[in-house]
Amino acid sequence: MTGNQKFASRALITGCLLLCLLQSAIAQNAGDVDVAVVVHPDTPVSNLTLAEVRKVFLGDRQYWSTNIPVVLLIRAPVARERNVVLKVIYQMSESQFKQYWIAKIFRAESATAPKVVYSNDMANELVTAIPGAIAFIDARDVRPGSKVVRVDGRLPKEPGYQLR
Amino acid sequence: MYSRLLLIFALASGTALAQATSSPAEQESVQSLIDRIQQLEKRISELEDRQRKQDAVQTANLQTPTPGQESQDNATSAPAPHSEHAASSTAIREAEMHYPSLQIRGFADVDFSATNQKGSVSGFNLGQFVLHLASPLSKKVGYFGELSFTARPAGYDVQVERTIIRYDYNDYFKISFGKYHTPLGYWNTAFHHGAWLQTTISRPQMVQFGGTFIPVHFVGLQAEGNLPSGGLGLGYSVGLGNGRSSILSRAGDSGDINDNRAWVASVFARPTRFYGLQLGGSVYGDKLTPQPGNNFNELITAADVVWTKERPEFLSEFANVHHRDLRTSQIFNSQAFYIQLAYRLPWLENKWKPYYRFEYIHRPLNEPVWDVSGVSSVEDLVGSTVGVRYDITNYAAFKGEYRNQRTGVDEPRVNGAFFQTAFTF
Repeated sequence: MTGNQKFASRALITGCLLLCLLQSAIAQNAGDVDVAVVVHPDTPVSNLTLAEVRKVFLGDRQYWSTNIPVVLLIRAPVARERNVVLKVIYQMSESQFKQYWIAKIFRAESATAPKVVYSNDMANELVTAIPGAIAFIDARDVRPGSKVVRVDGRLPKEPGYQLR
Repeated sequence: MYSRLLLIFALASGTALAQATSSPAEQESVQSLIDRIQQLEKRISELEDRQRKQDAVQTANLQTPTPGQESQDNATSAPAPHSEHAASSTAIREAEMHYPSLQIRGFADVDFSATNQKGSVSGFNLGQFVLHLASPLSKKVGYFGELSFTARPAGYDVQVERTIIRYDYNDYFKISFGKYHTPLGYWNTAFHHGAWLQTTISRPQMVQFGGTFIPVHFVGLQAEGNLPSGGLGLGYSVGLGNGRSSILSRAGDSGDINDNRAWVASVFARPTRFYGLQLGGSVYGDKLTPQPGNNFNELITAADVVWTKERPEFLSEFANVHHRDLRTSQIFNSQAFYIQLAYRLPWLENKWKPYYRFEYIHRPLNEPVWDVSGVSSVEDLVGSTVGVRYDITNYAAFKGEYRNQRTGVDEPRVNGAFFQTAFTF
């Protein structure tokens, strides 16, 4: 092997290692972002346990109070917020999630499936406009003044917060 | 920061590679594509601007205050609509629920079966074609319906399987009227018509459509809801209505067979600590009149334990059917249960789900209700089913099953191979 070839192979290995490090750093960075549970300002809740959030998103709890039905908002597939919801709350794959809601509606247990939102901006808009709405929004994108619900007594970015 | 670095690295290497390898003709075509993209982007932004302006005008028109409203609006100091808000108001209007809002979903399946049972014929058959309808009528009222089309030698048999109108007061009290799948045990209310919904090809024999072991349908009213129970996650349902008709497998859609109403009560628990676990118990009572002057009291008790996750999925259910002849006071008890285990394999894109089910039915030798028509409608059964489900897409599946079962006393075991493609659309 000539000197130039040695140099080229070392440069290639170093480049690959650098790429791997960068990718893991990006993944870690993305994984640290908390997802906030945001509700309509008039919703009479400020603290829910993770089990209660699950009950709401499974459609087992459908009313905040007698006159305020729960309106579920969930990001469209591939969004990180949706992945967090599927992994932590539903503990389902994408296809299991779809099957779950088809079965839920046609068992006559729920009238509608969660509404799909396509961006955090849209989620912010709808959650403040629709009474009873609840959404998961990247904590960095939550608009000032929005009603963020504590989960097991913790807000996003606090130690022990589970929705990330 | 890191992602930008990576992007720059990727772009730089990509550009360098492209420059080193592409010919002038290719560069030209790439440039023309870039120009075309820029033109399209410009066109999109023009269209978006136009849409925003139109929405702003509409919103301004909608929000023009009447003289009485003006002072109130000023008091709440609502911000004037600007173009960004106007655009989002369209999304809000779209997201708001409109009533009625009918959703229709179809289910169908195509089957192949071959068994070594004497007199049986192998071949294809169409499964049920099923339409499920759901329509919220207001914030608190909803309608659900289910129609089935079953292939018969002389055509299709159309049935209204469920038709329910429900009023929700809150989570603790919902009342509905109509025709249901009787809330007795687990399977009968978890899996309706539409084979795609269930893991296996067939239902367990004890809850078979057209079977008589339990009353599959119930016509009347039902109250249901959650019970305040904290982490226990208790729920209930109670119902009153027409029980079985003179044909035991059918409900009294057009009226009850006697003056005695059937009743059903069930309780279940979904403990929050064990997400996926459900425990349930149910009781059903009725007076049967399978023939004029021939009356029986019926009391069915059932219990179920299920783990609804797919790794593993575990379903088990037991029911005892108690009949008392009102003339002779003779008592007859029949029992049935099944245990089903399935597991969604984590490889090959999670598409494979092998499963196994054992089922058992026992009936007294002389049971006048089961034999009322002269042909036994419930028979002893011991059977095993092993199979696999392959989900082709999120909405279609292939299933293959091998069954080995003995039906009736001293009868030979029957082996069979069954295949199905089931889907929803």
